[in-house]
Amino acid sequence: MVAITEMTNWAVDLIDVRKTYDRKVQALRGVNIQVGRGEIFGLLGPNGAGKSTLVKIMMTVVRPDHAFGTILGRPLGNRRKLQRIGYLPEGHRFPGYLTGMQLLHYYGALVKVPRTRREANAESLLERVGMTRWADARIDKYSKGMLQRLGIAQALLNDPELVVLDEPTDGLDPLARRETRELLLELKHRGTTVFLNSHLLSELEMVCDRVAILIDGLVARQGTLSELTEHTVEYRIAFSGSVTALQAQLQALGVSIEGGHLSLPGGDMERVNRVIDLLRERGITIESVQPHRFSLEDVLVETLGAQGRAASPGP
Amino acid sequence: MMPFWALIADSFREALDRKIFWVMLCISILVAAAMFCVSFEGTADGSIEELNVFFGAYRVRLSEAAPGTVIPRETIIGGVVYLVMDHVLGGIGILLALIATGSFFPSFLERGAIDLALSKSLSRPLLFLAKYLGSMAFVLVQATVFVGLTFLVVGFRWGMWMPGYLLVIPLMVLLFSYLYCVSAWVAVRTRSTLAAVLVSLGAWVVFVGLQGLGDVFELMPQWKENRTLYTVARVAGWVVPKTQDITYFAGRWSGAPAPADVMPKTRVPTPADRELIDKAGEVDRQRFEQRALPSIGSSLLFEAVVVAAAMWTFSRRDY
Repeated sequence: MVAITEMTNWAVDLIDVRKTYDRKVQALRGVNIQVGRGEIFGLLGPNGAGKSTLVKIMMTVVRPDHAFGTILGRPLGNRRKLQRIGYLPEGHRFPGYLTGMQLLHYYGALVKVPRTRREANAESLLERVGMTRWADARIDKYSKGMLQRLGIAQALLNDPELVVLDEPTDGLDPLARRETRELLLELKHRGTTVFLNSHLLSELEMVCDRVAILIDGLVARQGTLSELTEHTVEYRIAFSGSVTALQAQLQALGVSIEGGHLSLPGGDMERVNRVIDLLRERGITIESVQPHRFSLEDVLVETLGAQGRAASPGP
Repeated sequence: MMPFWALIADSFREALDRKIFWVMLCISILVAAAMFCVSFEGTADGSIEELNVFFGAYRVRLSEAAPGTVIPRETIIGGVVYLVMDHVLGGIGILLALIATGSFFPSFLERGAIDLALSKSLSRPLLFLAKYLGSMAFVLVQATVFVGLTFLVVGFRWGMWMPGYLLVIPLMVLLFSYLYCVSAWVAVRTRSTLAAVLVSLGAWVVFVGLQGLGDVFELMPQWKENRTLYTVARVAGWVVPKTQDITYFAGRWSGAPAPADVMPKTRVPTPADRELIDKAGEVDRQRFEQRALPSIGSSLLFEAVVVAAAMWTFSRRDY
């Protein structure tokens, strides 16, 4: 049985995860999430959706009321497997009396990384996140960005199979954000699974293979980025001239007129050609025809709209 | 065991970071220096005749202060060591240690800090236990420095080697642990440093008070007539940690005389008062000479129950 579960393709397989705080606040109402091995998975949703609770349940910080599933092929909460997971919590607080190097040794020892490997990994990771110069400085002297870099190094010290990062780019400048994205892609190429919780949707879009949208403690949508956005393609036709006389015909074709361009929701090329023909018949110059795929933010807003919620994406 | 030791080492680093840690070390050094400035001049028969302070700048002839009194060397030196150990280490030292370590658990449980600790492979009960024992490092270091320095002063300067005095180190850690278990339990429940410190100090007062109440019953036979009150007082006194007993054991095992033996025989107005004082001395002597196992055993039982309760709360809570 163990051998079978170890062989599962899912790095994270969560089934019917429920959590209610103080018997009143239903944070999770039966969440099902699957994350494939070696992929970068993004979790998004508005404030209070239950994202942090889900991450904390995965990391055994919060105890679920009800949950099935596995992480790295072992039942949720298996402590031995935690040695193979790296974690960066949101708003982490590191002991100010330690230096950066001491902190890496401390957390490395907590996951039983042998000293020689700790030393080697700590040095290379500090260099990777640009913190070598500050390795021996006390943490209470670090800026927020430096703390975040150190946090990322800490999460990777045990050469994890799965990395769970809660707002990893919080407090980082644009350059450091780009470096973090590159690091995440590097991890993916090495076969590491990355579970990301970030409110920066554009960043998730740049690195994630699959995402899940969590709303009110339930997964509203889940899939690859193309799966989530394929039905939300629209064509935008830029033109010069007046389309006032065509207004009724265009609206009949489901076209909306927005300033200097027309928007056609959906990917129906025949309809696009009919609109182009209509415009050409009237001698209107067509400047460009561009397919426009919806962003993750558009998908989130649309999903929230479908659920009757106001959009306020956040951690 | 690697995570366990890492947590203990971390607690030690945390202790070193506290200013109060260094203040306490300075107090230890000052006390040892003050003791070094005092010497005893004796007679050939081994009794103390003169006390020199500041290398002879001030001299006190004991034969003039208390004519006709012959005080053996061991008694006076043992008595001084006992007083210093009891008041400085067992009193001020433990008080400052409780204040200093009161924030160890609350800071460990802060959001963002506890998340990382809980996400590692160490189980919650072991995590708690490692942090709990790690906090003892604070007192272990302080007691070792204090006892080490004063042991050397008493040996080299006063010419009396008291190997039993070294047992004060584990005994002070034990005394601290009786009180720290309360601090840790409150911290786990409230995450408040102030609450942890205040409740542990309050518990200390209650423990001492309940023990003292038992002694009062022995001195006042008429109070024993209320059997219910007497039984409640005895049971309560047995259940709570016997903090006072620790200093008695420390004194006895160091080779110090019983406090009643070195108390000056002052004049008292009536024979009844004399009788009461003698009786109090007898109660005190009994406590000094009592068997250690029941006292320490029952106190450790209390500590184990409180630690188990704290561990249970820590293990069941969401952070």
